[in-house]
Amino acid sequence: MPDQAPIITVRGMSKFFGEFQALADITLDVRRSEVLCLIGPSGSGKSTLLRCLNFLEPYDSGEVRMEGRLIGWQEGVVPRRPLPASTLREQRRQIGMVFQQFNLWPHFTALQNVAEALLQVRNLPRDQAMARAEAALEKVNLSDKAGNYPSGLSGGQQQRVAIARAIAMEPSLMLFDEPTSALDPELVGEVLSVMKAMAAEGMTMVVVTHEMGFAAHVADRVAFLDQGRLVACLPPAEIFGRDPSDPRIHSFLQTYRERNVV
Amino acid sequence: MDFSFGVILHNLPYLIAAAKWTLLISLVGMAISIGLGVFICAARMSRARWLAAAAALYISFFRGVPLLVQLLIFFYMLPHIGLDLPAIAAAILSVGMCSAAYTAEILRGAFQTIPAGQTEAAKALGIAPASYWRRILVPQALRLGMPSLINELILLVKVSSLASVVGIGELTRVAQNITGQTYRPLEIYIAAAAIYFVINLIISQLGRLAERRMQLAGGARLGV
Amino acid sequence: MEYELFLRYGPALLHGFGVTLLAWVVGSFGGLVLGFVIAVVYRWSGRGLRTLLQAYIELIRGTPFMIQLFILYYGGPGIGLVLSPVQAGILSFVVYGSPYFAEIFRSGFNAIPPGQIEAARCVGLTETTIMRRIILPQMLVLITAPLTNFVIILSKETAILSVVTVPELLYETQTMAAETFTYVEPFLVLSLCYWLLVIVTARLGQMVETRAMRHLKRA
Repeated sequence: MPDQAPIITVRGMSKFFGEFQALADITLDVRRSEVLCLIGPSGSGKSTLLRCLNFLEPYDSGEVRMEGRLIGWQEGVVPRRPLPASTLREQRRQIGMVFQQFNLWPHFTALQNVAEALLQVRNLPRDQAMARAEAALEKVNLSDKAGNYPSGLSGGQQQRVAIARAIAMEPSLMLFDEPTSALDPELVGEVLSVMKAMAAEGMTMVVVTHEMGFAAHVADRVAFLDQGRLVACLPPAEIFGRDPSDPRIHSFLQTYRERNVV
Repeated sequence: MDFSFGVILHNLPYLIAAAKWTLLISLVGMAISIGLGVFICAARMSRARWLAAAAALYISFFRGVPLLVQLLIFFYMLPHIGLDLPAIAAAILSVGMCSAAYTAEILRGAFQTIPAGQTEAAKALGIAPASYWRRILVPQALRLGMPSLINELILLVKVSSLASVVGIGELTRVAQNITGQTYRPLEIYIAAAAIYFVINLIISQLGRLAERRMQLAGGARLGV
Repeated sequence: MEYELFLRYGPALLHGFGVTLLAWVVGSFGGLVLGFVIAVVYRWSGRGLRTLLQAYIELIRGTPFMIQLFILYYGGPGIGLVLSPVQAGILSFVVYGSPYFAEIFRSGFNAIPPGQIEAARCVGLTETTIMRRIILPQMLVLITAPLTNFVIILSKETAILSVVTVPELLYETQTMAAETFTYVEPFLVLSLCYWLLVIVTARLGQMVETRAMRHLKRA
C-alpha cells in the first residue's frame, strides 16, 4: 500500500515549444512507493511531462516540487531564473531515468556503464563503486554480462543495464520513458519483470508506456493525457473498467481492447 | 596604429584588375581539372590493373607533393623538354594537373555512391557501357560530387596565389608590387584578402544555387 | 646525378627538413589546440558569439594561406607585431589551421548521439566529465581520419613558408639549385621527400585509427 505523502507535487504546470502548447495546466501528485503510469495517444505530452519532472525539459509555468523543493527554477525569484548547474545536477541525482533508446555508453562495458556515475559523481573508491555496480547488475539479473559491451547485448539486456545504471545511484524516484517501446516483443517481458520487482520493493515509479497490461496490473494509478491536458488520474480499475468517465479514454483504449490486451 | 583606408581605395582598381588573372587561373584550371579528372578517375576504376595502378600513382604523386614545388618544377622543366608556353599557360596547366588528382578522387567517391543496381539495370537492358557511362553515371556523379567540386574550385582560387611566385601578375603578385611602392603591407594585403574572400563567397553562393537547382531536377546528395 | 653535391649540401638540406618539421608539428599542434578551444566555446555560446566564431572560420577558410602569412609577417609590424620568419610561419599555421580543426571537432561532438549525453546528465555527471569520459573517447576514433588529412595538408603548406625566407626544405633546395645551377635533380629529390613524408604520415594516421578502434570498441 503506497504511503500517502506525495514525493512529487505538480501544480498548474504548462510547457510550450515555441507557439505550440505541449502541456496545459497539469496538476498531480506522485505518492511515495506508488507506480504511476502515464498513458495517452501520441503527441499527448506524456513524455514531455515526464521530462519536465527532472527538468530535462524546462517547464514554463507552474511548479514541480520534489519533497518540497522546487525543481529547476530558483525559489522565489521573479522573473524565473534557472538553478545553477551544480544544484540541478544534485536534484537529478535523486531521480533515476530510463530512456526508450537505452542510451548506454558504447565504449564502456555493462559494469563500467553502471559504475561510471558512482565513480565520477559520488566519488567512491574504485572497489566500492564496482561492488555496488555488481550488486545493481545482480538485481536486474545480468551479473554474467558485466564484462559485455552494449554491442554484445540484446535490447532487453541493454535496457536492464540502463535500469541498473539508474538504480545504482539509489534514487528516491525512477522515471521510465517508454522503456519497452524500442524492444522486440519477446524481449519486453524481461524488462517488465524487473520493473515489477522494483515496484514490489516499494520504488516510486512514473512510467510512460504503451504496455497496457503493465499499467492495468502493476500501476497503483494511471494518468491519461490527451493533447497536453491531464484528463484523469485514477486507479487502473476505473480507467480500464467498462465505463471510463471520459469518451477520449474509451476511444483510446478501444484498439487495445480489440487486441485483447485489456 | 595608423591604418590608411585611402591607400586601399587608391589601389583597389589595380587589385581588382589583377583579380581577373586569379579567376582565369582558377576557372580554366578547374576546367582542365574536371576534364583530366574524369579520365584519371575512369583509369583508376578500370579493370586493367596497370591502368588502375598508373592512375593511383598519378593521384598519389600529385596529392603528395606541394603544389608550389610542382609549379616550380613545371616552370623550369618545360623549356628543357622544348615546350615554350607562356607563363600563364604553364601555371594554369600545372594547377589543373594537380587539381585533377583531387577531382578524380571526388568523382570516384561519387561513382561509388551511385547504387550498383543502376548499372545492372542498364546492362540488363542491353545498353552499351559507353552509353550508360555518358548518360547515366557521369551526370549523376557530377551532381553528387557538386559540393566537393565547388569546394575544389574555391581551393583553386586560393591556390592561384602561388602563381605569384613564378611571376604571374595575379592578385597576390600585384599586391606585393603595390606594397613595395607604398610600404603599406597591412592595408594592401588585407584588401587582397577581402577580394579573395568576396570571390569565394560568390562562388559558394552560386554553388549552393546550382545544388538547389539540381536537387529540384531530382537526384540524391552526397553526404547530407 | 652529382652525389657529391648532395653531400655538400646535405647538412643544409637536413637542417631545412628540420625546420619544415618544426613549423609543421608546432603549427599543427597549436592549430589543434586553438581549434579545440573554438569548438568547445562554440558549443557553449549564444547566438552572438557563435556568429562571431562562424565569421572567423569563414574568413580564414576563404582567403589564401599565403596572404594570411603576409599579413602576419609583413603587416604585423603595423600593429606592433614583429615576428621572425619562423615565428610568423608557425603563427600563421596556428591561425590557418584553427578553423579547419574546429570544424572537425565540432562534427565530432555532433556525432555522439545526444541521448547518451542526456543519460549522463540525468545520472549527475558534470559537463567536463561528460566531455572527458563520454564524448572525447568516442569522438577520437571518428575524427582521426579527417585530422590526419588536414595535418597532411599542412605539411605541404610548409613549402609556402619559403616565400618569406623561412629556411625550410624548399628554401634550402632552391638555394642549392641556384648555387649549383642544377634544377631537375634537387627538385625531383625534393618531391620524393615530400611524397614520402605524406605517405608515412597517412600510414601513421591509419595505424592510430586502427589502434583507437580496437581500444574503444564502439557499438
